[in-house]
Amino acid sequence: MKLSEIAYALNLPFKGKDVEISSMNELDLATVNQLSFCISKKFSKQLQNSQASAFLITTNLIEFLPQNSSYIACEDVSLAMAYATKLFAPQPIDFEAEEAVVGEGCYIDAKATVERGATLGANVTIMAGAYVGSHAIVGDNTILYPNVTIYRDCKIGKDCILHAGVVIGGDGFGFSHTKEGEHIKIYQNGNVVIEDDVEIGANSAIDRAVFNSTIIKKGVKLDNFIHIAHNCEIGEYCIFVAQTGVGGSTKLGRNCVVSGQSAFSDHITVAPFNTFTARSGITKDIKESGGVWSGYPLMPHREWRRLQSKIAKLNS
Amino acid sequence: MMDLQEIAKIIGAEIGDANFEVKGMSTLKEANPDEISFVSNSKYIKEITSSRAGAIIVDNSTVAHVPSSAIALVVDAPYWEMATLSKYFAPKIEDETLPEPQIGQGCDISPKAEIARGAVIGDNVKIMAHVYVGANVEIGDNTIIYPSVSIYRDCKIGGECIIHANTVIGSDGFGFATSKMGEHRKIYQNGNVVLEDDVEIGSSTTIDRAAFGTTLIKKGVRIDNLVQIGHNCVIGEYSVIVAQAGISGSTTMGRNVVMGGQSATSGHLQIAPFTTMAARSGVTKSIKESGGTYAGFPLMPHRVWLKLQGKIAKLLQK
Repeated sequence: MKLSEIAYALNLPFKGKDVEISSMNELDLATVNQLSFCISKKFSKQLQNSQASAFLITTNLIEFLPQNSSYIACEDVSLAMAYATKLFAPQPIDFEAEEAVVGEGCYIDAKATVERGATLGANVTIMAGAYVGSHAIVGDNTILYPNVTIYRDCKIGKDCILHAGVVIGGDGFGFSHTKEGEHIKIYQNGNVVIEDDVEIGANSAIDRAVFNSTIIKKGVKLDNFIHIAHNCEIGEYCIFVAQTGVGGSTKLGRNCVVSGQSAFSDHITVAPFNTFTARSGITKDIKESGGVWSGYPLMPHREWRRLQSKIAKLNS
Repeated sequence: MMDLQEIAKIIGAEIGDANFEVKGMSTLKEANPDEISFVSNSKYIKEITSSRAGAIIVDNSTVAHVPSSAIALVVDAPYWEMATLSKYFAPKIEDETLPEPQIGQGCDISPKAEIARGAVIGDNVKIMAHVYVGANVEIGDNTIIYPSVSIYRDCKIGGECIIHANTVIGSDGFGFATSKMGEHRKIYQNGNVVLEDDVEIGSSTTIDRAAFGTTLIKKGVRIDNLVQIGHNCVIGEYSVIVAQAGISGSTTMGRNVVMGGQSATSGHLQIAPFTTMAARSGVTKSIKESGGTYAGFPLMPHRVWLKLQGKIAKLLQK
């Protein structure tokens, strides 16, 4: 798509070369032929260093544009960005894709659906009511139990087990807001990548990235009702107990253990080998590895125990 | 079924000529003489000496307690090796050698539902579109199963039950052995789930199958939406579990327990009959006396919790 077409669709003027735009991305991850956006002066450094070919910006950020880049000037960048994502959203099903590739020894139930463009490795089991979207990839020996849904473009590794009702690649929860208080969908054009030997419990949901990928690394074990938001990265061999949620773009190092009904804020980074007891609420980065944490607000587990005994004494 | 010799070879245990046909794996307490068991923790020493298992996987520290009726399989990491073996006892997800499903009179089964071989369905059962009924599943008379419910193999659903859309019965319990390197090995969950008669379960709830034995939901239980019940739990008669509650593995409840919304229990607890837990309660210890009402996390009697909230509210007042 030409930049001029995007500007026309947004009903905004553009300046610079009418470059070809293939997709959108964040400032620091964008490459040539991508459209990026800068929502505040706070990110002027990332804007200066961005490799994107064109930008959605407010006019006060023009001085920070990298050389030779084109731009669309807008009043509300996040709103313009939301409208622009719609232009790059693929159809839910790609009817024009090649027929699905199915490896040797697969079992695909007659009541399951594998869309065109999908690729299944060897010995994959796909049970009744399961759905594998366009261009999705499922590795060798992986089992999809009944009523699992894999949205288009997602990748599932080898030797994975996805239990009934799991949804991989549903839209991340992202909206821009008009002054009138309406919510404008930010189309989630990324995907989910699940590495090898991952098990995911029944009715869990892993949302697709807005741009790029939500990543679940090798050997991760998720219990039932786990919610992983868009753009998260869950480190190798992490364990999540039931009813736990992770906010968008949060990154966990390897071998973290997260007990039941815990939750993480968005955009935080957690060092490897941290343990969280049940109902922990994690709102800040954790930089040191190997800790044991509890409570909301979060604190070291020893402190939480001391605090609880003090609280208990309030009544006496 | 497997040879004990074969099993010893897989896990690298030395047993000389001893041998028998091993029918399955189970816990120390439940194992029969034709089954093998394992010691995961030295705190179960009492259970080793009284176990009826034909063979027990132990390490050097526990081997001395193995009764003379059992063959000891000595390894470095018994729990890890149990996980290794559990895979060999896992039945196939579906089995083509099983008979065609048996369906009772007056049933209404959507052509978009899938009923696997070996299933037995009673009379007047309603099964709606996209429901999956696994191998050997039994469903009692007059039960209604709403769309997209998945029932894994070997589970039993009583009569007069109602199961709402998207609920999953009998998916694998969350059980893994972890190596020193931090890798996890699946403990195959070879038990099942049993729902007795007159049980109603809300939408998108999950009830996990037992590792060994049964996850049991007794007669007349009411479970709301989005509830998680871990493997090997027992939920007593007429208990009520409100939305988004979570019951961790092997917790046993007496009859008429009430769990409020978003409340949760730890694993391996015993909850006395007629106990009530307010919303968001977090139960971490067994409750021995019946009839109490509790709240908070850590849990306390509801009256104490109310008083405490009053005190907390005053903390910021001058």
